Amino acid sequence: MAVKLMQGNEAIGWGAIAAGCRFYAGYPITPSTEVAEILSRELPKVGGKFIQMEDEIASMAAIIGASIGGLKSMTATSGPGISLMQENLGYAAMTEIPCVVVDVQRLGPSTGQPTAASQGDLMQARWGTHGDHPIIVLSPVSVRQAFDLTIQAFNLSEKFRTPVILLTDEIIGHMRERVELPDFKSVEVAERVVTEPPEKYIPFRNEPGDVPPLASFGLGYRYHITALFHDQMGFPTQRLDEIDPWLERFNHKLDRHLDEILMLEQDLQRGARTAIVTFGASARSARHALKTARARGDKVSMLTLLTVWPFPETAVEQLADQVERLIVPEMNLGQMAYEVERIAGRRKVVRVNRANGEMVTPQMILDAIEG
Amino acid sequence: MPEGILQAQTSNPPSATAKKGPRGQVIIFATWCKGCRICVDLCPTEVLAMGPDEDHPRIVAPEKCTACHFCDTHCPDLALVVKRLD
Amino acid sequence: MDEILAAQGLDTNEGQIPRENWFESSETLQKLRKNKKFPTIWCAGCGIGIVMGALIRAIDHLGLKNDEVALVAGIGCTARMPVYMDFNTLHTTHGRALAFATGLKIARPDMKVIAIMGDGDALAIGGNHFLHAARRNIGITALVVNNSIYGMTGGQYSPTTPLGARATTSPYGNVEYPMPVCEVAAAAGATYVARSTVYHALELDRYLQEAIQVDGFSVVEAVSYCHTTFGRLNKLGSATDMMLALKDTSISKSAFDKLSPEERLANTKVVRGVLHTNKTRMEYTKTYEQMAARVSQTEVRRPRHVGGQ
Repeated sequence: MAVKLMQGNEAIGWGAIAAGCRFYAGYPITPSTEVAEILSRELPKVGGKFIQMEDEIASMAAIIGASIGGLKSMTATSGPGISLMQENLGYAAMTEIPCVVVDVQRLGPSTGQPTAASQGDLMQARWGTHGDHPIIVLSPVSVRQAFDLTIQAFNLSEKFRTPVILLTDEIIGHMRERVELPDFKSVEVAERVVTEPPEKYIPFRNEPGDVPPLASFGLGYRYHITALFHDQMGFPTQRLDEIDPWLERFNHKLDRHLDEILMLEQDLQRGARTAIVTFGASARSARHALKTARARGDKVSMLTLLTVWPFPETAVEQLADQVERLIVPEMNLGQMAYEVERIAGRRKVVRVNRANGEMVTPQMILDAIEG
Repeated sequence: MPEGILQAQTSNPPSATAKKGPRGQVIIFATWCKGCRICVDLCPTEVLAMGPDEDHPRIVAPEKCTACHFCDTHCPDLALVVKRLD
Repeated sequence: MDEILAAQGLDTNEGQIPRENWFESSETLQKLRKNKKFPTIWCAGCGIGIVMGALIRAIDHLGLKNDEVALVAGIGCTARMPVYMDFNTLHTTHGRALAFATGLKIARPDMKVIAIMGDGDALAIGGNHFLHAARRNIGITALVVNNSIYGMTGGQYSPTTPLGARATTSPYGNVEYPMPVCEVAAAAGATYVARSTVYHALELDRYLQEAIQVDGFSVVEAVSYCHTTFGRLNKLGSATDMMLALKDTSISKSAFDKLSPEERLANTKVVRGVLHTNKTRMEYTKTYEQMAARVSQTEVRRPRHVGGQ
C-alpha cells in the first residue's frame, strides 16, 4: 500500500484483513465504530463476512461460533461493551477458541464520556470475567503499531488457543498518522494445523505440549465443546483426576511461553535512577517528557509495554533493581501502578494519574521526574 | 468404552408354525433404562411389565407385540428398539 | 415372570448383546456418540430424551452426514442434549445459543445448524437473540423444548409457565402471563414454525425433518413436561400421567381450524401442527452472498471519515 494518512481504527481494520480475519461481528459504540464500518466495507471484497449483531453479548458469541466454524474472527468495542462481553470472553478462554477483541477505551465508568479517552479497562481486560483465566492483552502506541499488534493478536490467539484483547484508546483509535503498510502477502500468519486423523484426535489433550491443536467444526473431527469443566475429549466431568491436569495446563499455557508473548520497548539509559513504565496513549506523553528531561541532562529510562497481560514481571523487576523510582503515568487511577507496586514495592512507585478524559501531559510526567 | 456386561433381553421371533405371531420384536437395553414405566404404562397390548426389582421392564407377552413403535419412540432413554417382523 | 423367561429359554444373563451389535441393532442409534457414557443425565421419564430420539430419527431420515450437522445448545436440561449425539456439538452460555449458531452458520453456511434450547434459555435470557435470528431469517433450526419451568435449577417459573401455576419462585401462583413461542417466532420473521408434544413424538420427527430442510429460520416447539419439579409442585402426577395429559390438553391444527370463531377464542388447548410458513424472505447467508457478489462489481461509496485505498 502507498504512504497514507491513516486513522488508528482503520489501521486495526487493515491489520485484521492482513492477518486473515474473515469474520467480524460487532455492535456500534463510540469510539470503536470505525473499525466496524471499515470491515463492513472491506470484508466482502476479500470473501469475508460482516454482521452487526443485536448487542455486544451476541457479537462476542458470534465471533466464537464463527471461529470454531473455521474463520478467524474479531469484534471491536469500548469499555461498556467489554463489560457486556465478559461472560462470553470467559467462554472463549475456557473452551480455548481463538478470537480477537478490540477495546478502544473511552472514559468511564458507565456511560462516562464516549468521545474522550482513558486507559481505565486495564484491569477489566485482565480479569473481566468470573473465575481465574489467563489472557493476552496487547496495547499499541501508534497507528502503525495498531496495525502490527492486530496481526500479532490474531497470531497469538491461534497459537495459544486463547482470546486476545487489543487494548487501545480513543486517542490512538481516532488519531491520524502517516503510515506505509507492508504488502499483506508478506505478513506472517499463524494457521490451524491438525496432523492426526479424526479417530485419534483429542481436542483438549494435556500433553504433549501446552496447546492442543484445534480442529474446526465440519472438517471430519466431530467432538463436543463445553465450558463446563471437561475431560480431554471435551465431555463434562467432575472428576478431580481429569480437572486438575486441565487446570495445570490451562493456567500455565501462557506463562510457560512468555518469550513468545511479551513485547516491550526498552529505552535504558546508563546511570538512570528514575524510570518510566507506561503503555498506550500515555507512552506518547512519556516519550515527549523523556526527550525533554534528557535534553536538560536528566538520566531517565523508559519501558513501554506493548504486551500488558501477562504482565512483564521480569522486565519490570530488573528495571526496579536498577533505579530508585518508577514513574507510572496512566489515564486511570492507578491500574498499572498496582502491578508495578506489587513487583517493585510501593515506595518506589510514583503514580501520575488522570481519569477525566484528558491525557496525562508531558509536563505532569516531567514534574514527577523532578520529584 | 466398557460399561460392564450389558443386560439385555429380546423376545424370540415366532416359529414357522405360529398362526398369528407377533408383528414386532422388542429389544430392551436394561443398562440404559431408568425405570420410568412409560413403555409399560402405554403399550396398548401390554407386552411389557416392570421386572421384579422395578428396575426395568421385561417382555411378558411377546406374542402381543403389534410393532406400533409406541414404546421405542416414547422411551426417554432410547432403551427400547422394536424390530418389525415380516 | 421367571416362568415366562424360562419358557423362552432366557435367564437374566441371556441375550447379552455386545456393544457393537447394540448400536447396529438400530439404524438410528448410529447417531449417538459411542464414546459417551450412557444412560443420559435426565430424570427417569423426562421428555427431553424423547425429543432427542425424534431429532436423531429426523436427521437419519434426511440422510445427512454426521459431519455436516452442528448442534448448538445454551444452558439447561434441554441443552444437555447435544453431548450424546455424534455431530459437531457446542454447549454455550445461557440464552446465547442462537448468537453462537449465527456465527457458525455464517462461517459454514453449508452445514445444518440446529440450536437446542429450553423455554427459559430461548425466550427469557435468549429472547432478544430469538427475535433477531427470526428477523434475519438465518438458516438455523431452533428446537425449543418447552416444559414451562426452569428444571435444572430446581423449578423456578419461566416465560412459558401458565398464569397461576406454582413454582419455587411463584409459591403463591405465577402472576405473569406466558409468552406464545410460535406466534412470536412467526411475527419476528421465521420461515417455518411448528409445534407438537412429546406424546406425539412421530409428529416431532416430521416437523424436525421439515424444519431442518427449510432454507431460513425454522422453529419447532416440542411441548414437554417436568414431572420432577413442575409436576410435583402442581400435583400433576408421574411422567406417564403428564405425558397422557399432553394428549388431552392439545388439539391438532386441522381440528382447530374447523372450530367456530367463538370456540377458537375460548380454546385453551395447545395447538399442534405447522403453524406458520413464510416463503417470501431469502435466507440471511444467501442475501449476504448476493450483496457481496454485487460489491465486487461496483464502486462502493466510502464513509466520509475513512481513508483507505
